[in-house]
Amino acid sequence: MDINELKKQSDLSYDRAIAKRNALEKANSRLVVVYNEHLFRADPETICLVSTLKELHTSFCVLDTNNNPVEINDPKDFLKVLVARNQESLNAYQQVYKTFTRRDK
Amino acid sequence: MSKGVLLFCFDTEHTQYHKILERCVKLVKKNICNDITVVTNLETYIKLKPLGFINYKFIDPELGNTKLGKEWNNVDRHWAYDLSPYDVTLVMDIDYFPFTDNLRQFLDTGYDFLISKEAYDLTGRHSFDHRRWSMIPMVWATVFVFKKGKKAKRIFDMVKYVKQNYRYFNEMYRIYSKNFRNDYAFAVALQQANGFLNYDTLPIRLATLPTDCRILEFTDRGVAWQYNDEISHTQDQDVHILNKEVANV
Repeated sequence: MDINELKKQSDLSYDRAIAKRNALEKANSRLVVVYNEHLFRADPETICLVSTLKELHTSFCVLDTNNNPVEINDPKDFLKVLVARNQESLNAYQQVYKTFTRRDK
Repeated sequence: MSKGVLLFCFDTEHTQYHKILERCVKLVKKNICNDITVVTNLETYIKLKPLGFINYKFIDPELGNTKLGKEWNNVDRHWAYDLSPYDVTLVMDIDYFPFTDNLRQFLDTGYDFLISKEAYDLTGRHSFDHRRWSMIPMVWATVFVFKKGKKAKRIFDMVKYVKQNYRYFNEMYRIYSKNFRNDYAFAVALQQANGFLNYDTLPIRLATLPTDCRILEFTDRGVAWQYNDEISHTQDQDVHILNKEVANV
């Protein structure tokens, strides 16, 4: 492989890395949800916490993104909102990611 | 409870901000809400093409501030509380383009005041690490939400006080840029009003294109830009575009 080809591949890799990074950032910004007038991130940690607490209690308190306590009275609904947003965001990221893998082939 | 978006727009000798506003309003209507109030002056208003049913508030912008030697009419943001006709207001820079409805939900929070602390450089250069340019963490007054009440009023009164004495606060916090910046005025005011402790923030990073990115294409879903010899694009992601040439794309 000549040096020009290597340079071209390097440029393509750079473009892909930036695009991937931006797509992930887009997914992360989409994870924010407002529930009961408070802000949450629909990330794995929040989903796991809510899922675990839901198994043990019918209502419980969690912290929002600013560390303010929020009472959750309908855990099922809250979990549904979190999972929906998490998957919406990650599905969009996956679609973008697929375009990178296609380019590699 | 009324909710809406407040935008500030004043043309300058060098930049046709009204063209940027036209683009922004279209996206706000599509993705955030139809209740929009634009704070402007007559000179700018007469250049605007019809934007549908939106409210206008006319003021004479305070002159004298500059950015890179050019006129920069940005010092009236502290009037947002007094000028907003809404109970809950989302204030945005007109060069922040909401290609998604991510911001809409912030109108439904119970918070009195929320502002973003972080920006994300879409070119991957981490060029918005402003912490080293002052002794106080900067906030981005590009996007903020407030609910009218005692607490929000106190914050805006504090911003007015900081603005009146900006030179003093600028020195005290060793802020590198000497021109007036809303970002620092709000950062100082929030710190002072909250007893030098933390305050509530929006958990988002504002995706931003630095001034050296040339905008190649602008659609209803996103933008394409060129930085050096690299061309990139993004869609369905809100973007803050710092290069004002976006008005002419």
